[in-house]
Amino acid sequence: MPDTLPLSIQLSWLIPLYGFSGMLLSLPWAAGWIKRNGPRPAAYLNLLVTLLAVLHGSLVLRAVLALGPQHLDIAWFSAADLDLRIGFDLSLTNLAALELVTGLSLVGQVFALGYLDKEWSLARFYALVGFFEGAMAGVVLSSNLFMSYFLLEMLTLSTYLLVGFWYAQPLVVTAARDAFLTKRVGDVLLLMGVVTLSAWAGSLEFNDLYAWSANETLPALGATLLGLALIAGPMGKCAQFPMHLWLDEAMEGPNPASILRNSVVVTCGAVVLLKVMPLLLISPVAIDVLLAVGTISALGGALVAISQVDLKRACSYSTTSYLGLVFVAIALQQPFIALLLLFSHALAKAVLFMSVGSVIATTNCQDLTELGGLGSRMPATTTGFLVGAAGLTGLLPLGCFWSFGLMVEGLGSRAPFFAAVVLVTNGLTALNFTRVYRQVFMGSPHPKTRRTPEVNWLMALPMVTVAVMVLVTPLVMARIDRVPGIGAFSSVTALALVGSGLAGLLVGSLVPLDTFWSRSVRRPLRVLQDLLAFDFYTDRIYRATIVAFVAGLARITNVFDQLVVNGMVNRIAAVSMGSAESLKLGVSGRLQTYVFTVVAAIVLLVGSLSWLGG
Amino acid sequence: MLSALLLIPFFGALGLLCWPGELATERIRRAALALLGLQLLWSLRVLLAFDPGQAGLQLQESFAWVDSIGLDYRLGVDGLAMPLVLVNAALTLVSGICTRDLSQRPRLYFALLLTISGAVNGAFLSENLLLFFLFYELELIPLWLLISIWGGANRGYAATKFLIFTAVSGVLILGAFLGLSLFTGQADFSINPVTTAQLGMGTQLALLGALLIGFAIKIPLVPFHTWLPDAHTEASTPVSVLLAGVLLKLGTYGLLRFCLGMFPEAWALLAPWLAGWAAVSVLYGSLAAIAQRDMKRMVAYSSVGHMGYILLAAAAATPVSMLGAVFQMVSHGLISALLFLLVGVVYRKTRTRDLEVLRGLLNPERGLPFTGTLMILGVMASAGMPGMAGFISEFLVFRGSLAAFPVATLLCMVGSGLTAVYFLLLVNRAFFGRLAVTPPSGDAVADSRLEVRLPAVALRETLPALALASGVVGLGVLPWGLGKLSEQATTAMAQLPALVAAIQGGGLLS
Repeated sequence: MPDTLPLSIQLSWLIPLYGFSGMLLSLPWAAGWIKRNGPRPAAYLNLLVTLLAVLHGSLVLRAVLALGPQHLDIAWFSAADLDLRIGFDLSLTNLAALELVTGLSLVGQVFALGYLDKEWSLARFYALVGFFEGAMAGVVLSSNLFMSYFLLEMLTLSTYLLVGFWYAQPLVVTAARDAFLTKRVGDVLLLMGVVTLSAWAGSLEFNDLYAWSANETLPALGATLLGLALIAGPMGKCAQFPMHLWLDEAMEGPNPASILRNSVVVTCGAVVLLKVMPLLLISPVAIDVLLAVGTISALGGALVAISQVDLKRACSYSTTSYLGLVFVAIALQQPFIALLLLFSHALAKAVLFMSVGSVIATTNCQDLTELGGLGSRMPATTTGFLVGAAGLTGLLPLGCFWSFGLMVEGLGSRAPFFAAVVLVTNGLTALNFTRVYRQVFMGSPHPKTRRTPEVNWLMALPMVTVAVMVLVTPLVMARIDRVPGIGAFSSVTALALVGSGLAGLLVGSLVPLDTFWSRSVRRPLRVLQDLLAFDFYTDRIYRATIVAFVAGLARITNVFDQLVVNGMVNRIAAVSMGSAESLKLGVSGRLQTYVFTVVAAIVLLVGSLSWLGG
Repeated sequence: MLSALLLIPFFGALGLLCWPGELATERIRRAALALLGLQLLWSLRVLLAFDPGQAGLQLQESFAWVDSIGLDYRLGVDGLAMPLVLVNAALTLVSGICTRDLSQRPRLYFALLLTISGAVNGAFLSENLLLFFLFYELELIPLWLLISIWGGANRGYAATKFLIFTAVSGVLILGAFLGLSLFTGQADFSINPVTTAQLGMGTQLALLGALLIGFAIKIPLVPFHTWLPDAHTEASTPVSVLLAGVLLKLGTYGLLRFCLGMFPEAWALLAPWLAGWAAVSVLYGSLAAIAQRDMKRMVAYSSVGHMGYILLAAAAATPVSMLGAVFQMVSHGLISALLFLLVGVVYRKTRTRDLEVLRGLLNPERGLPFTGTLMILGVMASAGMPGMAGFISEFLVFRGSLAAFPVATLLCMVGSGLTAVYFLLLVNRAFFGRLAVTPPSGDAVADSRLEVRLPAVALRETLPALALASGVVGLGVLPWGLGKLSEQATTAMAQLPALVAAIQGGGLLS
């Protein structure tokens, strides 16, 4: 790298380190070494370093806008034919994603200051969030698969610790376990892919891999397995069917972490998938699987979301659903649409979850059936929810409207089925948010919502800020995408989109809430409700299949180990001890017998020797 | 220079035993720690004198000892032995530090500890087969005594099992060494792959087989592993640290130095089977670990699984995988020592290691929060989480072995996934949830009372664990130091089969 580049670019390797340093800075308070004051200084320090990351990121962004994309490369470890490097790709899209990650992390941390006001281990939370943010910032900037994998695993670890933040609660214990294990399955599969690529292609730089995959013809089986391994990691990270289980349970964690998880963490997973996208061309099977997974997640997630009675879960399943659409876009080689969708989804979902967090913080309740009538008394929260929901659905001309429009237009002729999937998902999402809105913000107050003042400014300010950002999303998108422009779709597409959104809105506002959300007496409807409410019984299927399989295998191995392997050892010992004991009893004590035995043995020995020799 | 690494612990042990008059336990401990610290400093001095640019043995010392039977006192160090010598010095010091509340015979205890450390140094540094064997056996008796005097309730059984298994291992190794000299007709017992290449393949395979089983018992590999969980369960914490961190490495060191190093041709022939054996060992160890209730047994079985990676790496014998083997030896030494230390803390504070009983130990005021934090770090490192030593080791092993043995490598990676399963279960069961150190009584009201208050863990008790944890993280973030130290030696070892074949084919000797 020449020295003429601006300092901000030369030092861009610092950007992920800001987050990690935030973790280290929080340690004295998290570990309880400093007890004189509360844990607040840790939070302030983290906010400061995150602010630094945002500022540094925007400086780099300005420099890159002026100079064009840059690449930064540092050797990390090399041995024989292996060369592992730390690489940063400072392209506009990566930096935009970085700004998204660090910016949302910043507002999320401010929000957390209000939300976790009375939390005694605030410092631990900030240490984990710092770790989280550092890993995410690295993932989006990474220019090689090794580093991406490295940081994705760190994300898995920090997700585990953040979900398990309130580790004394029984539900949190299982939630953290499931979050870690599901993601870990994806990660191990991805590791298999990474190791294979490293062995086959040599370099793990994305650019080298693209060139390699374009020139190399691989055996069909190898290519298929490789493709599947590469999509497994992002699948786990983005909570796609069938590895979506963790996102639902992760809602047991503190809400500020949920904000980040539902907006930027899943974005990181999708960004990694975007980066490996050109490699997937080697395997048609992987593309098909990606399409299937995306479609099932999009529709399934939207349907499951509708039948949830938990406020956070109703919103988190829609994350699965939207990331499913992103997966479809990536599988159909539409990276730009995927990026726009990710961008608009992340912002809108963040404000939605902030609003949800405000509701929970005020009412200490996240059960939809016990909420109601908040609209008039919590204006900022209500606005936040409305803006978030509007930004997520293709009805008003906010972020997702334009992204969906481009996607439907792009797919309409080539893959009409997937265009229909987008429209249906849009309709279902509109339905879901409408009914949640009615349940929470409209109607009459319930016992738990009698006294509901608006949240304090530490929560309201970030919420309103992000809401404004959602409102101006289309302008930003228009600036990013000058050609062909975000409005490059026909009026038919726009009408279809608005139609699907309106249909969802109508159904959502007409469904009778009281009876609809209790279990129906009619059997077919009840079975369907249960199926969706229990998430297609995914956890039970897991427990009956893979968990039972591994547990059974472990038990069999243990029994085999104790009875056969160890038993054999003990038996040999017992036999030798037993024979010694019985021989001991055979001792007569008479000299003649001993002499006779010795003589007989000598005769036998000599005899056998002469027989052998002769 | 290298002899000092033997003289310090051996004379130290002798001095401790023969010091006239009564000595307080604390003074003996201080003296032993000073000696161990000196040993660590001297190891670091050796490291400074060591030139990582050379592949062969360095800093050699030799004098004829019992010339008639080919037993020479010859020491040397290379990139394979150097990191292990450091690990030995560091972990013996750690296990000395974490020895507290000795019930009896402190003099003997610390003398045995020093003897083991010296013998292990000797084994890593020997350049002569018989000398290696002497040190290999020398470490056996002190460890047996350490388990059978200061062990748990069932210590007699475990110690005897350990003794018999390891003695058989020693017999097999000695037999192979003697057989080698018998068949080649040379009695010089130096480590030399070219001499063995003169033998017929059948003889080579027989000798290699004996050596393999001998070292497989020590490592241990399935099905010769049953002594390990028992020995660990009964041994006290410092002894477990030493056993897992240092003594198992004798087996893997022997595997690399003697099996692969002396029989490269026969090794290449057996390699596919060895890779399969490695995969079986990894999966078996991991699955058995899932089913354990005792934390210590779980960690012990995880050792069985993780040592399988080294066999896989050695079977593939590529430069990257061999470096991975060294990394895995070092990182397993640090990580398993850390885990045993922490389990030891839990046991000392709660008097139980039962995963069905322990709950919620992370509790900030009444539990063991700091120990729990380090435990999470340790199990994550063991599960191969990036940023810690386990990841880079496993990555190197897998990356180096994949091209040679794809199926075995992928199976081993599944084993790495299973590691996450059982260690996560350990953390989740024992450290998450509501604090309890007694089994649930069935009475909800009684169980919900938070009466437990575990004694606080003093900083000096966690200091050794903290040091190991920072080593684990340090090696994971900055692996190039160890890479540089060992790369020349491991690359040279990986090229041995080709070298021997070239010598045979090209007739360089004739």
